Amino acid sequence: MIKAPSLTRRRFMIATGSTVAALSASSAWGQGRLKIDPDNFQPLPIAIPAFVPGTPADGQAGADIAGVITNNLRRSGLFAPIDPATFIEHINNIDVAPQFPSWKQINAQDLVTGRVTRQGDGRLKAEFRLWDVGTAQQLTGQQYVTSPEYWRRIAHIISDQIYERLTGEKGYFDTRVVFIDESGPSERRIKKLAIMDQDGANVRYLTRGTDLVLTPRFSPSTQEITYMEFGQGDPRVYLYNIETGQREIVGNFPGMSFAPRFAPDGQRIIMSLQEGGNANLFVMDLRSKSTTRLTDTPAIDTSPSYAPDGSRICFESDRGGRPQIYVMAAGGGPAQRISFDNADPSASYSTPVWSPRGDYIAFTKQGGGQFAIGIIKPDGSGERILTSGFHNEGPTFAPNGRVLMFFRDPGGNSGPSLFTVDVSGRNEQRVPTPGYASDPAWSPLLS
Amino acid sequence: MSARGAIQYLRERKGTALSVTLHILVLGWGLVSFSTRSVEAPQEDVIPVDISMDNTSQMTQGIKSGKKENPKPLAEKVAEAKPVDDVQGKVSKTDVVTSTSAPDPTPKPVEKPVEKKPDPKPEPKKEEPKKAEKKPDEKANDPIADALKADAKKPPPKQETKAAPPQPPKPKERTFDQSKIAALLDKRDPSHTAVTGATLNSNAALGTPTGHSNAMVATWKGAFVSAVRRCFNFPYNGVDSDQFEADIDINLRPDGTVASDPVIVAVRGPSPSVARALAESAKRAVMECQAYAFLPKDQYSTWKYIPMTFGLKDLL
Repeated sequence: MIKAPSLTRRRFMIATGSTVAALSASSAWGQGRLKIDPDNFQPLPIAIPAFVPGTPADGQAGADIAGVITNNLRRSGLFAPIDPATFIEHINNIDVAPQFPSWKQINAQDLVTGRVTRQGDGRLKAEFRLWDVGTAQQLTGQQYVTSPEYWRRIAHIISDQIYERLTGEKGYFDTRVVFIDESGPSERRIKKLAIMDQDGANVRYLTRGTDLVLTPRFSPSTQEITYMEFGQGDPRVYLYNIETGQREIVGNFPGMSFAPRFAPDGQRIIMSLQEGGNANLFVMDLRSKSTTRLTDTPAIDTSPSYAPDGSRICFESDRGGRPQIYVMAAGGGPAQRISFDNADPSASYSTPVWSPRGDYIAFTKQGGGQFAIGIIKPDGSGERILTSGFHNEGPTFAPNGRVLMFFRDPGGNSGPSLFTVDVSGRNEQRVPTPGYASDPAWSPLLS
Repeated sequence: MSARGAIQYLRERKGTALSVTLHILVLGWGLVSFSTRSVEAPQEDVIPVDISMDNTSQMTQGIKSGKKENPKPLAEKVAEAKPVDDVQGKVSKTDVVTSTSAPDPTPKPVEKPVEKKPDPKPEPKKEEPKKAEKKPDEKANDPIADALKADAKKPPPKQETKAAPPQPPKPKERTFDQSKIAALLDKRDPSHTAVTGATLNSNAALGTPTGHSNAMVATWKGAFVSAVRRCFNFPYNGVDSDQFEADIDINLRPDGTVASDPVIVAVRGPSPSVARALAESAKRAVMECQAYAFLPKDQYSTWKYIPMTFGLKDLL
């Protein structure tokens, strides 16, 4: 008898309870979606075992390619390659699915398997697969064929594929850097034009060091470099063809010409021409050889750089007193100053370079006894300093606009070195060079 | 001594008077200046419950990697002929419950540890549910009582609804406790919170018509976010990380597994390719961290469909 009422009561309570639960379910998402943000920045753990040799002789190539990929991804700061000594499964066939539990066990989030084979015609074939360990899926796979001496380029191209698949950003590993190689005592430095892969391999010298060379810049087509060289007379802007080794003087200007850069279409070079005690910006068409004046001020206007769409340029000018950054339409006209430091009005901004993404302009800033590398939006907002110290100078963007290279000179009897840093200010890395190095410029993607 | 007498006393002793005055001033100043406004705790539905939920998830995921040394005390009592079932039957009518809002009452995960547990035979069946309810009252288990504070409100309502039955066995309980406490204590500590979190709570929630269901929704949301976050890792080195977002919808089965491929509803951000990569990374995170078996079965209707927005805030 006691049971009956409690049952009824209980049924009632459950009914009302579940009704309330149902009601609250429908209104549970009234407030909107569940917000999920990452805990903090974590590089992706990725496993890159040596590429399987297609023939017994390819063992070294397989290890080398995996090594270059590992190095690229690690240096990017976005990936954490796992120590191969901890691998449990030994990959010897990339055409079957890996044993994912064993890769999960070492906390690999992604896995790269690959195979390299020297073909009958002597060319090298490299294939790779990128796997997501958690969902046991293949994310991408490709194969490439090339001459054996370009095995590094295959490794860089595969690195770019992996990078792009997992981050959504285009990679920057299949690129080169042109720079000034410096050697000898500081009072008698020998400066040679040099070019290398972005990871420091394959260094080649383009000049012999007899004349002083400065500010080399890549053409968008990557086969030409423009730079400044102190020859017999005034310093001149030169054009250098990397493949043929041919070089020619750009234009026939009285006085100094310096700080050259290519326009995005590769058909024009913008530079600074000396006029008496001033310097103004000029553009020269490489085909027609016609020259157009862009600025006409009693000041030093120099270091021009095009926006990637070619519509505007940024440059350095001391028309306001100290060097500052200005933005101007590519055809000339009024220029807006965009660099301001209210905390330190005596600070100066120089060497501006426009990101290939168009979203930022990088610069060298000097103030308070420090040299800093920073970025700023083209409208002058969002200035951030990425690194600061005794001497940092000359930033250049990687083609994806996410990494900067610059040079740093510790001073004294030592010499400058190249460094890279993310636009977020993270992951500063030294770039290995044979000797001292300065004035780097990053090429577009080679592929 | 009277006030007048005190003042007279102090007048005669100037040094004492000065000292007393200064003491009063200092203490009064301290009282005023050191008192603070009570700080309102940020609206956070995750922190207190998260721990219990994690342990719960480990328990209910006993299949995967639950700690073997974490037997469930409830399971212990439950060990006999599924006292959990009995508890449900006695407390909240399992059958009815399952048919209405909890299509999947799962004594199953609780049964698993049952296999590993030695059965405390002497205890009469009737006592098991009492023990479950009385858990908060056992004074010997301090850490357990502390952990149970969050859930303490759940058992009491249950007890209220059946106040009569528990009384008679109470003294009998005590005598058995003497011999059993050590065994209970050893195994209870690590996982106690987990058990109460899952089993008692769900029962209690059903028993009370208001409030708890909302609290339970808030509770599992925090635990779910934490669980997915563990697998969510998207490397980004741009400066505009806070502008990227990906809206992902999932449908879950009652056992907490993902019922179908997560749906990318929308992506936002300055770079479409990065936003897309973020969305895919989010999808993989949701799939990789399943099953979300800690989600309360009786609340299934609130989590069978979960809309999420993944972002990159605070990544800089």
